[in-house]
Amino acid sequence: MKAVFISFYQAFYDEVMEALEKNQITGFTFWEEVRGRGSRGGEPHLGSHAWPTLNSALLTFVPDHLVDKLLEDLRKADESAPKQGLRAFVLEAEERTV
Amino acid sequence: MSIYQSAVRKPVTTALIYVALAVIGIFSLSRLAVDFLPSMSDNTILVMTTYSGASAADIENNVTKVLEGTLSSVSNLKHITTQTKENSSLVVLEFEYGIDIAEATNDVRDKLNLIADYLPEDANTPVIFKFGTDDIPVMILSVQAKESMNGLYKILDDRLASPLSRIKGVGTVSISGAPVREIQVYCDPFKLEAYNLTVEGIASTIAYENRNTPGGNLDIGSETLTIRMEGEFKDPGEMENIIVGHFQGRNIFLNDVARVEDTIQERSQETYIDGVQGGTVVIQKQAGSNTVQICKKITEKLPELEKNLPSDITIGVVMDSSDNINRVIDSLIQTIMVTLILVVLIVLFFLGRWRATLIVAIVIPVSLVAAFIYLLISGNTLNIISLSSLSIAIGMVVDDAIVALENITRHIERGTKPKSAAIYATNEVSISIIASTLTLLAVFIPLTMVGGMSGEIFSQLGWIVAIISSVSTIAALTLTPMMSSQLLKLKTRKTKGFDKFYGHVEKALGALDVVYAKALNWTVRHRITVILASAAVFVASLFLFSVVPTEFFPQQDNARLQLTVKLPINTRSEITKELSFRIHEQFRRDYPEIEAMTFTVGQASEDNLYGQLGDNGSHIMTANIRLSLKTERERSIQELSDAMREDLRKYYPEIRTFNVGAGMGGPTGGETTVDLEIYGNDFAATDAIASQLAELMEKVPGTSQVTVSRDEYSPEYLVDFDREKLAEHGLNLSTASQFVRNRINGATASYYREEGDEYNIKVRYAPEYRESLDDIRNILVYNNQGQAVRVRDIATIGETMQPPTIERKDRERIVTVTCVAAKGAVLSDLVEAAGQQIDKIDIPSDVMIGIAGSYEDQQESFADLTMLMMLILILVYIVMAAQFESFTSPFIIMFSVPFALTGVLAGLAVSGTALGIMSMVGLMMLFGIVVKNGIVLIDYIVLCRERGMSVMDAVVTSGRSRLRPILMTALTTIFGMVPLAVGRGVGAEMWNGLGITVASGLTVSTFVTLFLVPAIYSLSAERGEKRKKRKNS
Repeated sequence: MKAVFISFYQAFYDEVMEALEKNQITGFTFWEEVRGRGSRGGEPHLGSHAWPTLNSALLTFVPDHLVDKLLEDLRKADESAPKQGLRAFVLEAEERTV
Repeated sequence: MSIYQSAVRKPVTTALIYVALAVIGIFSLSRLAVDFLPSMSDNTILVMTTYSGASAADIENNVTKVLEGTLSSVSNLKHITTQTKENSSLVVLEFEYGIDIAEATNDVRDKLNLIADYLPEDANTPVIFKFGTDDIPVMILSVQAKESMNGLYKILDDRLASPLSRIKGVGTVSISGAPVREIQVYCDPFKLEAYNLTVEGIASTIAYENRNTPGGNLDIGSETLTIRMEGEFKDPGEMENIIVGHFQGRNIFLNDVARVEDTIQERSQETYIDGVQGGTVVIQKQAGSNTVQICKKITEKLPELEKNLPSDITIGVVMDSSDNINRVIDSLIQTIMVTLILVVLIVLFFLGRWRATLIVAIVIPVSLVAAFIYLLISGNTLNIISLSSLSIAIGMVVDDAIVALENITRHIERGTKPKSAAIYATNEVSISIIASTLTLLAVFIPLTMVGGMSGEIFSQLGWIVAIISSVSTIAALTLTPMMSSQLLKLKTRKTKGFDKFYGHVEKALGALDVVYAKALNWTVRHRITVILASAAVFVASLFLFSVVPTEFFPQQDNARLQLTVKLPINTRSEITKELSFRIHEQFRRDYPEIEAMTFTVGQASEDNLYGQLGDNGSHIMTANIRLSLKTERERSIQELSDAMREDLRKYYPEIRTFNVGAGMGGPTGGETTVDLEIYGNDFAATDAIASQLAELMEKVPGTSQVTVSRDEYSPEYLVDFDREKLAEHGLNLSTASQFVRNRINGATASYYREEGDEYNIKVRYAPEYRESLDDIRNILVYNNQGQAVRVRDIATIGETMQPPTIERKDRERIVTVTCVAAKGAVLSDLVEAAGQQIDKIDIPSDVMIGIAGSYEDQQESFADLTMLMMLILILVYIVMAAQFESFTSPFIIMFSVPFALTGVLAGLAVSGTALGIMSMVGLMMLFGIVVKNGIVLIDYIVLCRERGMSVMDAVVTSGRSRLRPILMTALTTIFGMVPLAVGRGVGAEMWNGLGITVASGLTVSTFVTLFLVPAIYSLSAERGEKRKKRKNS
């Protein structure tokens, strides 16, 4: 079990959802408006006057075998419009749930 | 969820909301009445008091002054003017515009009740009239007749006037110029004397003979029957055989001493239509009804009515107000269409995307139809003001859509999907869009609060633009993103031909970006030079004020002229008629532009109210001239009327005074006048000054006509009875006077009845026996004993002068010298010249001269508008300061405002247009429009600085990035005004000034926004940074 944290420019919402669906991932937690800036260049999404755009964030817990496929799909989405910004981070997660 | 998000997510709902709006708008449009101007509230009340037998001076003292005294305390009164003539006093109360006239009328009525007891006993109760824009005739028909001339009045009354007045919306239909039938009994005074008969005796005999008498009831068997004795004449000829007296045992028949003529009234008004005698039918509408519809119905009904008329009668149209309305509306609709197409083309040029252009082309009309809903709800009409407002709005409302669309396109080009781009891109610019709409509202909402005459016009302009721009803002935030998400594609497949063409445009625009960036770079590095040079240009442009003249409203050309010619007073109507024919002939020969000319000569009869209101008298000729359309002739109405005035002066030396008037009068049409008002109690002194002033003003180059309001004294014969001699002969004054009156003016003996109508039977001396003073002197007056005495034995006849009408304004006697501006002459010059002429005259201390007329209205409106400009400037500043959360940024942006003035003055000077009220309004609109570009630019510069650029870099980068949107919005507004500015159609002169003002002002201030504003901004921003650094260190 891995936790995948995806932070992306709001406009990628549809693509992210598609990627989840494609890999039959049903569970996720979604924050519609978050602020953020990348460390590898690209435009910040700060919701300010200078950078009026905003990000969304999504956290999902997926079985290990799905992680690579999901990341691959997300990478494709990111490359379709590299300036917009989409990052996914994979973290270890324990199997214990309620 | 934000509004644009919902709109994009629910395209069906959004689309249908706007479809509903469009449907309601089109429905409203179909329900809207069409009229020339917005219906203005009436602001005039007339109070008329008659006092038979009193002289002008008596009435002035006993009636007019009393009325003035009380009525001047009615609230909201602007001016009180009075005209006192023999037998009557007319008080005209002029109120401020926009008051409730019903309430004012009640006030006036209350005041009149209060003073009823103070008026002379013989004076009649004062009558209140209201006169407003609705009382202006909607249509005037001319009727030519030959054989039916004598019966014309009855024919017209029965078969034309009555059916017409039954049409819905038609108010009064009055006939003038058509002679009224009258049975004349013309007596021979010598025969009367020989048979011992009198006019009075004959009159009463005729009355006795012309009578039906009921004889009571008779019971016959089981029935009761009435008995009637019918004695009324069945034919006027019967009268000749009635017995009027006995002499030496012989019966004297009427035809022994008189002749009976079945003819028409003596001394009536005669009307000639294109030289053929006839009459005119004046049609007024009911208040609030639709002029165009009424005229249409009348025109439809006329052929049907014409069939019922005798074949020698032909009906023509002298004036059809719907004609002009339709033409003006048509030319305006054309203007709106041209504007729409121009704006759409500009958008296509800059965006280079068919679909994006289509979105703009849909958003504009959707915003515009909202105005129709407002018009219907507020009870307004489709008129020259509301339609022009639409045309004005087009160029401005498109800005919101463009800003949103431009940003959406940019996002899509960066790779965002249309749906997301539509939401987030709109979100980014929503604040800017709302702010720029607020600046527009800051201009147009105050415009709805203007007072006075101009306020009546501009409140509609204000509301319409305010409503349209609000709707377009909402559409830009909902409809535009929704359509973008549906119509725009991530990868555009451009058609080849267009692609090829647009490739060149794209290249050119790209080159323009580079050139501008370089120029801007140079500008900010030489900013002090640029600022100083601009300041110099601005100061220099102010000198244009001396070149650009001022006016009030532009003179309009509605192809109608009114002509009044006055011969020396008391000229016989035959001579006036002969002169009128000569003028008619010469005008028709020299002015091929004249399409129809109707003229009327003579005294209006007492029961013809419409005729009575106008100038009438045996020495007066009034004419109505209809010209060909202004687009179909070379000479303008001003040139034509100037030429006519010249002719009247040159060829007809017998004319005492004349007046050639263009248009319908009133401040919005017709002509520009300067009224010199001479106040003073002494007739002789003010008369002298008036004629002196008139003579001086005639010589001033800008005047084409000068008239003095006070008529000349009219000579009259005064029969002065000697009371002692009257007493000796057992007579009293009124009996003796009545004798004279009956012989000259006639005694109404009885009425001849035919087909339900009554005609007067008048008994008097035959015309050939009342041609000299001796005829009056020889009149026999009988006393109660039947003894006769001649007038010459009991009275002296002398010649006197009757005082003219006494005019008063604001409780002071007044003479007005009215100067009409010639073609090309302007109000400000004329006023200046008048001032100089007044200084030349030696004015006694109790006489005062003031300048009124269009000048007074202009001064009032200019003062109002200047106040309003200050208010607008403050509001615009507040809106911008709130948006930038800064005091300095809006201040910098507002530097483009004074340069708008530079552009305006230059535009007016080049086009030779005067600075009138329309230009003032244009200037006010500019305050809101020019800052919009500044907002876009400064906002982006601030953004770039926040992203970490240096001031210089930020200025140049934003300039380059914002050049296209700024050019696009500026060009749509400028080109949106061009059709108005260059329009030459009917009624276009009204809006030329406004169009030129906005187009030229915005052109100059756009340059200022692109160069000077960045220069000043960089200067102030760098100062600010230095200050910050000093504080920190």
